[in-house]
Amino acid sequence: MNLEMIQFFFQLLALLAIIIGTVFSISGVLGLIRLPDVYTRLHATGKVGLFGVVFLLIAEVFLTPAIISKGLVLIILLIIGGPAASHALGSAAYRAGIPMKQAIRDDLRDSGLHSE
Amino acid sequence: MEQILSIALNISLAIHLVLIAVCVWRVWRGENLIDRIIGLDMNATLIMAILVLIALITMNPVYLDVTLGLAALGFISIVALARYIADHKMF
Repeated sequence: MNLEMIQFFFQLLALLAIIIGTVFSISGVLGLIRLPDVYTRLHATGKVGLFGVVFLLIAEVFLTPAIISKGLVLIILLIIGGPAASHALGSAAYRAGIPMKQAIRDDLRDSGLHSE
Repeated sequence: MEQILSIALNISLAIHLVLIAVCVWRVWRGENLIDRIIGLDMNATLIMAILVLIALITMNPVYLDVTLGLAALGFISIVALARYIADHKMF
């Protein structure tokens, strides 16, 4: 297990992470086009689309170990900030009265917890 | 191995450029306001991905600083826009 082997292993992991991140980005944009509703589109872009960037940053951490701190700070910031922004947008859409298509029931309206 | 990595990075960059074009079309032909803001959010995410890819291709860590600023600015602007739509006031 010399240094060259470790470098080759890291490059292999980075290649895998780049491919997985590209597939995540493609499926996020596909969900943005194809899904029928604001809330389901928010689900596609907020979770799936975000992980494209996260996997590319994982590839960056594997490829350049000298600047590992910037990549790790960005991963933590994106994982905390992305779902918070998506939740704010979903709450704003519900308060603005945008309808849900193909919805069977609305638990938030029935429970009475949501104040108008 | 470096050659395979370079080819994969360039193909991924091209795919992300096509995805940005699709997202801009989605912002242009959106159904309502929230839909367009979702398109803008996805656009910012894809631009961050492109900056990380350029940082990997040129091996220049300056682009990661730009990505950090863009991530913070995108989060704050999306939260402010959502609050403005929900409550009709900014702060």
